[in-house]
Amino acid sequence: MNKTSMISLGFLVVMGVFPFFADSAWLAVGITFLVFSVVAFSQDIILGRAGAFHMGHAAFFGLGAYTTAILNTQYGWPILATWAPAVIIPVAVALITTAPIIHLRGDYLLVTTIGINIIFLQVLENNLFGITGGPNGIFGIDVVTVFGFELFDQIYMYYMAFILLGITLFIMRTLDGSKFGRAMFYINKDDVAAQSMGIDIRYYKLYAFAIGAGLAGAAGSMFVVQYSAVSPEAFDVMQSIMFFTIVLVGGSASLPGVLLGTFVMFVLPEIFREFETARYLVFGLAMILTMILRPRGIWPVKFGNIPAFLKKGKK
Amino acid sequence: MSQYLLEIKKVSKFFSGLTAIDALDLKVKKGQIYGIIGPNGAGKTTLFNCITGIYTPEEGEILWHGEDIKGTPPHKIAELGILRTFQTIRLFAEMSVAENIMSGRHIKSTQKWYNGIIPTPAYYKDEKYNWEKVGKYMELFGLSEYATTPAGDLSYGIQRKIEMARALAAEPELLILDEPAAGLNENETKELADIIRKIQAMGVTIMMIEHDMDMVMSLCEYMTVINFGAWICEGVAADVQSNPAVIEAYIGVDDEDE
Repeated sequence: MNKTSMISLGFLVVMGVFPFFADSAWLAVGITFLVFSVVAFSQDIILGRAGAFHMGHAAFFGLGAYTTAILNTQYGWPILATWAPAVIIPVAVALITTAPIIHLRGDYLLVTTIGINIIFLQVLENNLFGITGGPNGIFGIDVVTVFGFELFDQIYMYYMAFILLGITLFIMRTLDGSKFGRAMFYINKDDVAAQSMGIDIRYYKLYAFAIGAGLAGAAGSMFVVQYSAVSPEAFDVMQSIMFFTIVLVGGSASLPGVLLGTFVMFVLPEIFREFETARYLVFGLAMILTMILRPRGIWPVKFGNIPAFLKKGKK
Repeated sequence: MSQYLLEIKKVSKFFSGLTAIDALDLKVKKGQIYGIIGPNGAGKTTLFNCITGIYTPEEGEILWHGEDIKGTPPHKIAELGILRTFQTIRLFAEMSVAENIMSGRHIKSTQKWYNGIIPTPAYYKDEKYNWEKVGKYMELFGLSEYATTPAGDLSYGIQRKIEMARALAAEPELLILDEPAAGLNENETKELADIIRKIQAMGVTIMMIEHDMDMVMSLCEYMTVINFGAWICEGVAADVQSNPAVIEAYIGVDDEDE
């Protein structure tokens, strides 16, 4: 068992028993944590692994959310049936919008992805095609129905988000142990060397965007069902900045780091609810202090994820 | 089919009006250790960058097994079997030695596009096979003890070895070495020469740029001397050493006094 699987398993056990000790308010916090962890991991695939400075992730998160909301309220699809399109549409949009800009580096890509996010928000707010509900968004989204049984209780929502996080961690584990995950790291660390080893930079960056957008879309779908409503401001550039920051503050490509980052940014503010606006104070201070004191994140990634039989000669 | 593995035909490369390579010709036979020598700024690295697809020359042909590969992107060049090392070492410094060498297995991996998210029995088999190969190359280069050490933490000499092991792990037909002895001490240089011979014995053709003349003259079976991007002479070590044009290129002539 490699390190990724061990950390994932430990975390899943803790989150799996959490509802037995939590009241409904805490359960809601737990759901938020699970959903935003998935988004943070999906941002991490693009930013932390492939090293693409992507600051428009809220657009893919929102695309999944709106896909479920629109198909459910406008076309009467049951929530379960909207899950596949809530993944496929963000993947398709990610590929189409990033293909022409994928060769851009660092700050250039950053600005273009912010542009994508802004355009997405404009589409939502101006009620393009008359299906997004404009600035007010969409209300009255159904709960998930399985075999005619309506999953009203929060606990079902919690475990659905829990399963999604489990799937996400499984994907991360597979990615880490594949040539795809490694290729992303190689490109991130030295793109000239990577292409000299036969790695098609464009392909693997788009691959990262596709997986990242798909997972974010799935999380978005969970997000709308939890609140049974959706509105544009949840997907503005500030939200993208949050996802971007979680990865850098927590630790790029580090599973525990990204979880920690999500906890600090989304759960701590809930715990100190009476200081709601202090959330941004914490956010700002954490950014500044981490980048000065721990430029690779609070819990930086450790490489050397290699099979045990190769470690025999160590030290 | 051409009798040469690699043929450079009248290749020219310009940078905003400056001629970096000037109608250069050279032919590399299979199994050779081929040297490219010349003073600093002669265009040697530019030539390697043209062969490996980092630059596209404006004129001429680069024939690989008789087929023009000019303008092919670098990752496709690697797939064709041309791998390289860099003058300034380019490793994935934060990653372990084993992971660095594993990058050489990338083009040999048979994983399908969906294996990045869905594992299959073939995926596990492929991973295991390639990691075993990495183990073999680490052994060959005496790197096994550093398997989990970040490559950037190791000495210059060891980093050179990792870079060569990484390129060799891709099982190239042609290995291009850009100043492999730069920054190495005498012992390390000697060890390097042995490694290069060992690689040749594995059936790999080698092209190298090197300033260490003892090493070039003892290792290279054939060489081309270039200066200001142009061909000066070529031949075996003895011919090149005694060629007046070569001596002139290296020492230079003071034509201001004439």
